[in-house]
Amino acid sequence: MRSPTRLVLATLLLSLAACGCATVPVRPWQRERLVDPIVAFRAEAREDARKMKTFEAREGSTGGIGGAGGGCACK
Amino acid sequence: MQVSPRWARTLLAAGIAAASATPCAAQAPGDDPPVAGTLLRWFTDSDHVSVRSLSGDWSWPMAHASDLTFHYNNERVQIPGISAPPGSQQAIDAITTASRPISGNAFQDFEKVRNEAQTEYERGPAALTYYVSSESDYLAQQLGGRWNRDFREQTLNLSLGTSWSWDDIQPVADDDTRTGPARKTTLHWNAVMTEVASPTLIVRYGAEYNLVNGLQHNPYRNVYAGGTNVPERHPESRQRRDAFVRMNQALPNRSSVKLAYRFYNDDWGVNSHELDSRLSQYVTRGLSARWEYRYYTQTAADFFRDDYASVNGIGGFLTGDYRLGPLSSHLFGGSLRMDLEAFASTREFLRRMTLWLDVERYFNSNNYSANVVETGVDFRLP
Repeated sequence: MRSPTRLVLATLLLSLAACGCATVPVRPWQRERLVDPIVAFRAEAREDARKMKTFEAREGSTGGIGGAGGGCACK
Repeated sequence: MQVSPRWARTLLAAGIAAASATPCAAQAPGDDPPVAGTLLRWFTDSDHVSVRSLSGDWSWPMAHASDLTFHYNNERVQIPGISAPPGSQQAIDAITTASRPISGNAFQDFEKVRNEAQTEYERGPAALTYYVSSESDYLAQQLGGRWNRDFREQTLNLSLGTSWSWDDIQPVADDDTRTGPARKTTLHWNAVMTEVASPTLIVRYGAEYNLVNGLQHNPYRNVYAGGTNVPERHPESRQRRDAFVRMNQALPNRSSVKLAYRFYNDDWGVNSHELDSRLSQYVTRGLSARWEYRYYTQTAADFFRDDYASVNGIGGFLTGDYRLGPLSSHLFGGSLRMDLEAFASTREFLRRMTLWLDVERYFNSNNYSANVVETGVDFRLP
């Protein structure tokens, strides 16, 4: 495996481990700012999909938006 | 890791079956109003290629906590007349990867139309998607499934997705095209985790994998090798994978910052890094502005060369595709979004509309630049 791949995988695993350490969950009534269109992931989902397609046509890579998930956490 | 086509189909079927069979118990979707949106987009680049896109999106909440969405896009690509021999680089490249075959006179504008449609049915934590795209020499279809679930008091969401796409390629008449009908298939998997990290921060992590098999070079493009022009030839299999992290942070004074990083790697030798940043700010109630900057860099594919000494290329492969060479790019953008509910509170029709305008400037290390202007309206149905 190439070293950049190792680096990214290590970063990802550390991030996953770190997020699992959050102790007090954010309550539903504390999430008002997260559903604001200038903050939420969902508000830019269509735009991100269009952009990814455009970049694919100009550059040699793909990806970066994943399948848009549902649920409160990402709307 | 090698995945055979048979295994790929088996894994895809298992994924879609799991998505379809999942009961709708994990959450309660369908809480959004029905929305219809249209988008008009112009693209022009330094080669005077222009693209006009007209698209529409509709979303309907349905019974049993389900949603149906439909997307349509009509795209008209115009490539100006050129003075270039068949197969040369400048003869064929355009945005949307549309290609310009040369047959007889290349000094006339070439126009190509592409239509695409996508529908998605989402019920509870599962979703099924079908996509089709058609142009004169290319038909692409895709079937996908997705499943997601909330954990930890709905502060953590895990989404797993898969899709299978199959493309039929029918090169049109060209003065030197030697490629017959061909096919390309893509198996895609992704795992995405989204976490509410604090009352002002959402973080998303993801990893994606694509296994592509079939024709992956441009049938209209030639490569200068060993003192002559020979058709481009790429490997028939490509494994593409990427990992990304995205953070959306709400800031004081009604603003936000979004940061994203992606690393990409494939077995052709291309490694890339992408950094994206967006800063949004409400100018007044209902009107927001956004600035964006994106940086991208990649290494070349193992078989990419500026000059090939032999017609056999590198390991039997040759490419004239600059996207497989070393590349870096920058994008600057700005956008305005206006929710008319804040400006026309007494007019029911206007209150349901959101208008937006997006302007971007893109340029890369190959002396290529492009301008993109998008404008659209979203309408929340009664």
